[in-house]
Amino acid sequence: MLSYIVRRLFFVIFVVWGVTFATFFIAQVVPVDPAIAALGENAREEQLQEFRERYGLNKSRLEQYLIYMGRLFSGDLGQSLRTGRAVAEDLREFFPATLELSLAAFLFAVLLGIPAGILASLFPNRPPDVAVRILALLGGATPVFFSAVLLQFLLAQRLDLLPVQGRLDGFLFPPPRITGMMGLDALLARDWTVFLDSLKHLILPAFVLGMFSAAILARMTRATMLEVLAQDYIRTARAKGVVASAVIFRHALKNASLPILTLLGSLLGGLLSGAVLTETIFSWPGIGRYVTQSATSLDFPAVMGVTLLVGLVYALVNLVTDLLYAFLDPRIRYT
Amino acid sequence: MWRKFQRLASLGVVLGTLVVAQDRTSTLIYGGDWSDLITLDPQVAYEFSGGLITDNLYETLVKFEGADLSTLKPGLAESWKVERGGDSWVITFKLRKGSKFSTGREVTAKDVVFSFDRAIQLKGPSSFLFTDIAQLKVGGTRAVDPYTVEVRIPKTASPGSFLSILTFNIGGIVDSEEVQQHAKGGDFGKEWLTSNSAGSGPFRLVRWDRGSQVLLEANPNARIKPKLQRIIMREIKEPTVLRTALESGEIDIAEGLTPEALKAIAANPRFKTLKADSLRLNYLGMNVKPGSPFANPKVREAMRWAVNQDELVSGLVQGNGVKIQTIIPKGLLGYNGALPYKYDPARAKKLLAEAGYPNGFEFELLTSTGLCGGGIPCQDIAAKIQSDLAKAGVKANIKAIANAEALKIYRAQNHQVYLGGWSPDFPDPDGNATPLADFAAKSLAWRNVWDDATASKLANQGSLETDPSKRATLYKLLTDYVLKSGPYVVLYQPSIPLAFSAKVEGYVRNAQGQVRFENISKLP
Repeated sequence: MLSYIVRRLFFVIFVVWGVTFATFFIAQVVPVDPAIAALGENAREEQLQEFRERYGLNKSRLEQYLIYMGRLFSGDLGQSLRTGRAVAEDLREFFPATLELSLAAFLFAVLLGIPAGILASLFPNRPPDVAVRILALLGGATPVFFSAVLLQFLLAQRLDLLPVQGRLDGFLFPPPRITGMMGLDALLARDWTVFLDSLKHLILPAFVLGMFSAAILARMTRATMLEVLAQDYIRTARAKGVVASAVIFRHALKNASLPILTLLGSLLGGLLSGAVLTETIFSWPGIGRYVTQSATSLDFPAVMGVTLLVGLVYALVNLVTDLLYAFLDPRIRYT
Repeated sequence: MWRKFQRLASLGVVLGTLVVAQDRTSTLIYGGDWSDLITLDPQVAYEFSGGLITDNLYETLVKFEGADLSTLKPGLAESWKVERGGDSWVITFKLRKGSKFSTGREVTAKDVVFSFDRAIQLKGPSSFLFTDIAQLKVGGTRAVDPYTVEVRIPKTASPGSFLSILTFNIGGIVDSEEVQQHAKGGDFGKEWLTSNSAGSGPFRLVRWDRGSQVLLEANPNARIKPKLQRIIMREIKEPTVLRTALESGEIDIAEGLTPEALKAIAANPRFKTLKADSLRLNYLGMNVKPGSPFANPKVREAMRWAVNQDELVSGLVQGNGVKIQTIIPKGLLGYNGALPYKYDPARAKKLLAEAGYPNGFEFELLTSTGLCGGGIPCQDIAAKIQSDLAKAGVKANIKAIANAEALKIYRAQNHQVYLGGWSPDFPDPDGNATPLADFAAKSLAWRNVWDDATASKLANQGSLETDPSKRATLYKLLTDYVLKSGPYVVLYQPSIPLAFSAKVEGYVRNAQGQVRFENISKLP
């Protein structure tokens, strides 16, 4: 087991290196000048030249990559061309917001998707199943920008139930920054008004972002549960007179949980990296918005930093999923 | 225990709501796309939102008031005079007594010297205004006594331009003691001032949550007392969200609405709208290098007759811009309202025939995939121009690429015709005259390979003239000259669409984009 973990960790490093290599050279293919993008139409030639020198843009690509990798080993992600700050500092600023949003969306997807899937599997082809399938189809097929704008209009503007944008009402003071997650920081500061308001702000974006994942989870849970429920040992358990809930949760769900777990891993990774549209629509200051702004201003160090972070998170989530696999199903042995 | 907790919690909510309710009339929430915000250091900020905010945190020696950009008013300096020295201009400022920084210290001449030298030494993106345009050097600013500052710039620089530059945030005076205390490794306090403030303006910076909001509070020591206690700059990039946020009352002012949204909001009595002037010009730049059809002045004139400007401004731009044909925008000294060119494809055809193109010609119209002034996609404007020109027998092939790439081609003189915009660097006619008319400035005239001795000479004379009426005469000559023979088809001067809650009063935005927050108030 230990050697397996070590090997997997090594693999994580390799994947992350691959990510840096690929993004760096893909970024270099773009035939435009980041100096012009950063300084704009009025910039003078001397200013452009100075900018290129300051950020090493006049060096060869290979040289730039080697410098980048050299810095990376000391934990330095370089300097953003747009903000002029260390990319690591920018990520520390923006990542917690994305994490907060993704975790809320994930929680919502799990709490809604899995029970809905179980419910559907218990009544195959009967009204609950049909309802879940229709909702899942809708949830999976509606694009984020559509559902977001629709819900903003309906819930926020027409019914005035929820706020449209941002993480906190403008008239409230944000809590002192500890983790960077607004809700958690408000809890730590025992500021209940801010806590409740930040939850209110979280509902819509988390729902919109998590909807797709909830839909996929519901369908996946339904399918695996149906498969498991049709097996002999379930019939045996029922014949023995085991209580229905025990049959469903202890016998069936546990065995259906492995494929669901795999899906959960990739969904979480996807949520973290896929929050771009949601963040833009809800003015949520996370890495999704940061990376689109960086990409449009050709801020390569920033784009690389975000890619690296997302790659790392993906790889780690995968690692944890695999380890949980081994834990849940002792038949899976690694050599 | 739980009950007690519940009671406390609900008490907290009630108190919180009370505080919020009280704050609503003394707090203004200003929503817009502030994503270009990278620093709040007055000597470094050169982006629109950075300037908008730092203008309210720092005071300058002289300033413009209201929407008027042609008359300088006293700021920290109560008076100033410009004199001819031996080989330089000597500009002497008398500071008023009793102006205080947010730290409580008095503003004195040594703070001015520190701030100006700081601007030069930091080499920020706007430092060329001091070093290139005004040709100011470290040591050129001197404290004569605590309330008198003397600035020397060479005879070749324009004192008028320098005074205009001083109205910008780069001329904002910082508390030298406070800033020096926070300096790290010779950075003149740059890192600290990025997200802290040390100015004498009506507001001080409380916090900046990057990507989300900037919070300003009334500066307790300021000479100018604002009507509002707090200003919150909310960053909202998406125009539809901006509109919804305004309509649901989450923000008081929305900047960056689409023309359609502005129309819809204008019809609702709960809101007010405003189209604020900008100093931007949208134009076509024609490359006149030898061998190009545009090298012939008749072709350039034909192009000006062949664009249907009225349809462009009223139809496509939907009133988010005004018609203009000369190169100094409305709002600045030297603005020339001449509009001699009307849409006349027959006349254009005739001129083209005289120039040796009886069957017209084909060219590439280069533009950006992004937005042009007034919130209109550049490609839409290009398409409109393409169809107008076609009626005069000229075929434009549109090439729309990323802005930075289009600019790169333009800067390398590799375009045929470029559709884009120009904003002057400082609110003075010279910010347009020199770049657009003087080849030697290596700016727009250079990019379009238009090397014209008359235009260069007039631009130089205009920049050095200190008498406003003589200056206006020189710019009249220059603008008329460029209108007739220059390499540009000036299309329109865009305006900035804004919408507010009807409760907001006193909002004025000058064409340079400055808004004095201290004059804004909110009805209960």
